[in-house]
Amino acid sequence: MSTDTQQNQAENPSIDVATLRENGPYAIEAIDLWKRYHGPFGGDWVLKGVNFKIPQGVSVGVVGRNGAGKSTLLKLIGGMDSPDRGKLKEHVRISWPIGLSGGLQASMTGRQNTKFVARIHGGDRDINTIIQKVQDFAEIGSAFDQPIRTYSSGMRSRLNFGLSLAFDFDVYISDEATAVGDVTFKEKAKAAFHERIGKASLIMVSHSVNILRDLCQAGIFLHEGQAYWYDRIDDAIDAYYQSIGQPTQKEAAELKAQKQREAAKARAAKKAAEKAAAKAQKSTEKAAATVQKTPPSNE
Amino acid sequence: MNAMQTHKPRTPWQVTLHVWHAMFMRETMARITQDRMGPVWLLLEPILHVMILVWVRTLLGRTGRLIPGAEFIPWLIVGILTFFMFRNIMNRGMSAVDANRALYAYRQVHPADTIFARFALETTLQSLVLVLKIFGLTLIGIAVIPHAPLEMIWVWLWVALLGLGVALILSLPYTLVPELRRIITLITFPLYMLSGVIFPVFMFPHGLREYLLYNPVLHAVELVRMQVFSTYHSVPGIDLAYVQKFAIIAILLGLILQVRFKVRLIAS
Repeated sequence: MSTDTQQNQAENPSIDVATLRENGPYAIEAIDLWKRYHGPFGGDWVLKGVNFKIPQGVSVGVVGRNGAGKSTLLKLIGGMDSPDRGKLKEHVRISWPIGLSGGLQASMTGRQNTKFVARIHGGDRDINTIIQKVQDFAEIGSAFDQPIRTYSSGMRSRLNFGLSLAFDFDVYISDEATAVGDVTFKEKAKAAFHERIGKASLIMVSHSVNILRDLCQAGIFLHEGQAYWYDRIDDAIDAYYQSIGQPTQKEAAELKAQKQREAAKARAAKKAAEKAAAKAQKSTEKAAATVQKTPPSNE
Repeated sequence: MNAMQTHKPRTPWQVTLHVWHAMFMRETMARITQDRMGPVWLLLEPILHVMILVWVRTLLGRTGRLIPGAEFIPWLIVGILTFFMFRNIMNRGMSAVDANRALYAYRQVHPADTIFARFALETTLQSLVLVLKIFGLTLIGIAVIPHAPLEMIWVWLWVALLGLGVALILSLPYTLVPELRRIITLITFPLYMLSGVIFPVFMFPHGLREYLLYNPVLHAVELVRMQVFSTYHSVPGIDLAYVQKFAIIAILLGLILQVRFKVRLIAS
């Protein structure tokens, strides 16, 4: 695990998160965000004064336990909801949440949905290029002209992904998007994001730690309504692991090493015991041999 | 909207126009492809509806069939078409916000845009039906060619705007307080009876008429009839200015409410 992480960080070492965080330019600035959901009997605050600045070009993974407000934060960033208090300044073009199947109308075909999204993004003139792009990425063949309601969930997510990637956003936001689809598609989606590093960045909520490590540099850890910024995603994940009582990556590695040591020790002890047993047997054999006066076996 | 860095930003007005275009095309496709008979029903349904109502009304007997200055059947048809124009825009408009909930994931789309799209589509369809019906009725020898066509179009457009205003306002309780949906339906149902569509307004007692005249749809229905039949005169007090004032105030109030409750409409 740890060698894997080092390798990934070596792939994009050019991004110095700490300086960018100090100096900007920023893509998104959250200033004292408060948000709660109003049920019929009032509601609890989900976000209680969240502050952070996301520099441009830095991909951020958002971690936190269930109900910590990850999806709420993403909704606010995506403009699908607005904070009760505080301000969210957005200086770049931000996508709708990738993999959001709600944005598709089930009774319409993939092509019709694609046309709609292209039109609202002002792409009426190059609508055919966009359709081609979506088709190429989604690879769902003739199903593109079938109503969405006939799609499997994997096909839906392929179409969703293709739609999001057909437009050039500065920041893509994603809520567990890479968790769906088959293995080849996951690889393709990952590759598509890697390709965009430098041109676009990502804000991602995922419980799959490996994907976060792979695609993000910095991390935001949401805990009890507060947001904690980490320049390295690994630190954010560690903080998250600590909060849910799981061993952190380091501790896990230590634990593993310790286990390995113990196992090695046990193996060594076993070997020693075996040796001793063999020796003992040999000595008895030797004794027997001397009694029987046969030559000892050459060891 | 956002300052875009790698792209030439569109002006808010351009964005809105793009959204309206996309929404209009989408609504049209939804109406056409909703079932195999889609395109046929689009025009056939209102025509059949009118035919059945005319048939029912003729079964009801002779009461109120004597309309001074107009033939009964064309008088009825013109009234029904005008009322349906208003009612369809109102009904389809107020449910638009709820029906297109999925689309607010795209930040360009505002709840009010869905109402505008349905308003445009419904106005187009109903106007098409009107033209076809005038054409068809003329072919079978019933005189419904408006004697003042331009004035009729003018009134017709105000009927549409009236529907838009009411839809903009009613979409809020319809979306935010689903419990009120039944009540809205209950309240709008008698509108059919009280707008002088089936029963001529002069048949109502004088004391009641005073209150009926608060209903702008009654004004609208009578006004359209007056532009179609040259000899038809409605009750005194019918006034286009009242319809216009009502429509403008409703639209402005509706827009204010749409702005005020935009976030709640999106998040509801």
